[in-house]
Amino acid sequence: MISEKLNQQITQIGPDTPAGDVLRCYWQPAALEEELDAPLPVPVTLMGERLALVRDTAGALVLATRLPLPDEPAISHPDTGEIQIDTNGPSYPVVVKKGIVFAYLGQGEPPAFPNFDCFRADDAHVFAFKGLWECNWLQALEIGIDPAHASFLHRFLEDEDPANSYGKQFRDKVASTDMTVSQVLREYPRPDIDVEETDYGLKITALRHMHDGYTHVRITNQIFPEAICIPMSREMTITQWHVPIDDEHCYWYTLFTSFKDPVNKELMRAQRLKEHVLPTYAPKKNRGNFYGYDPREQETTTYTGMGMDINVHDQWAVEGMGAVQDRTREHLGRSDKAIIRYRRMLRQAIKALESGDRQALPMQDASAAKAIIGPLSNDSVAPTDNWPGISHEADLERRASCPWDASIS
Amino acid sequence: MADPAPIPAELQIDAPQTWVRLIESAALDMPRPLIPVRLNGKRLVLFRDEAGSLGLIGRNCPHRGADLCYGRLEDNGLRCPFHGWHFDHTGQCVEQPAEPEDSQMYKAIKIPMIPVEERDGSIWAYLGTGSDAELIKEAPA
Repeated sequence: MISEKLNQQITQIGPDTPAGDVLRCYWQPAALEEELDAPLPVPVTLMGERLALVRDTAGALVLATRLPLPDEPAISHPDTGEIQIDTNGPSYPVVVKKGIVFAYLGQGEPPAFPNFDCFRADDAHVFAFKGLWECNWLQALEIGIDPAHASFLHRFLEDEDPANSYGKQFRDKVASTDMTVSQVLREYPRPDIDVEETDYGLKITALRHMHDGYTHVRITNQIFPEAICIPMSREMTITQWHVPIDDEHCYWYTLFTSFKDPVNKELMRAQRLKEHVLPTYAPKKNRGNFYGYDPREQETTTYTGMGMDINVHDQWAVEGMGAVQDRTREHLGRSDKAIIRYRRMLRQAIKALESGDRQALPMQDASAAKAIIGPLSNDSVAPTDNWPGISHEADLERRASCPWDASIS
Repeated sequence: MADPAPIPAELQIDAPQTWVRLIESAALDMPRPLIPVRLNGKRLVLFRDEAGSLGLIGRNCPHRGADLCYGRLEDNGLRCPFHGWHFDHTGQCVEQPAEPEDSQMYKAIKIPMIPVEERDGSIWAYLGTGSDAELIKEAPA
């Protein structure tokens, strides 16, 4: 439980708010590159600011301020003709990377991009998509750094054939075993969780000790301030930002990165377009239609009764908390270790900025950012007495056979 | 005709600080006996467990606030789909299956509850602050 005051401090991200200032020290996903197929200006609402992608006089893409429409709702996509640029408002630099338009809304020089796998891989091996969640960004991030929930929220009471699993999470066989990740999660629901502070954020290790002297090791990451990097399958990882639209809405932006074959972008996009409505990328399953909830399915097939798409499960979990989770009523357990650690990091960053020490924040030093690689993000099974070595080797093996340069030495 | 909603419409009641009739008992005669309730602005969930006892408890899981209207009605209680925390009809947490085996944390977790009684085919809730004795004395005939 935390105080109402602290809850506001770590969730509110408008201009001149403590957490908003921290997020503004980093490049933020502002749109998908595919949104630029529409005529400019393209409307963007980001961290409570009404903006639009336009070309400046030199022809460079920038994120300019626009005048809000009268009574404009948080989630809106005004037509190009309706958009009026506010020339007195700030205009922000933009970089297009791997299918995402990143913008820098902060003061001074933007930081360098770290050398993460999702940025290093060639374009053919990275696919970008996004989706709307109607809640504050922090609860959206916190579900991503909570390794325990996958054993429940995403439980399938029966398993799909992994052969039909392309582009979906948890359906793959766990390296060197006959079990799918989904089976391991179901049968071993009490992970030992280890959280380690790193130069990019947090490395989160969830250990599920199995009966036969083997341990399932799942390594996921928090990338400061509001991204995660997690394994999706043996072939792909997910790097996902939880970007505030305003205090009560956010977009997830994901870079799916393949360490093997080029990503089948057509299939990945079709799978996701089936579940979303453009141009707002609002999910078709939502509070208004009970997330597709079917009590009979909940009894027989899935833990939630909301279908097999784990994105919908996550969306239900975080939206059901309310627009901003009331953390004065929460009771965190030992499974919430990474969440507690993350909030401490965010508060430290807020304090550092308040005392003018921006360099104390992760990845702000340009030369250091370039040296940040990885992060290691995978599922493996190892003899319990040597899991760190095996997990590391499994990562190296994947990197060694990767068609793009994924080396980390 | 469209299928009925998988979760019944929220029952909204504003009531004085006394016993209040919520709904007829028959309203819970359904495969998944659970109804969201808003009582004097408080968001609650009314359900019947397998033994037939009624529970009227806070709607958000005390862990991280997930919506218990979508809970799994099983093992004679209501289970949160987020991390499997299991609650009996009094709102007492009885299991936290994601916490370490030796954890006793669940004993200290209780969702705020409102006493409910069934009389003459109706479900009543007690909104007073009286002791158990007063509660019985004031109970509807």
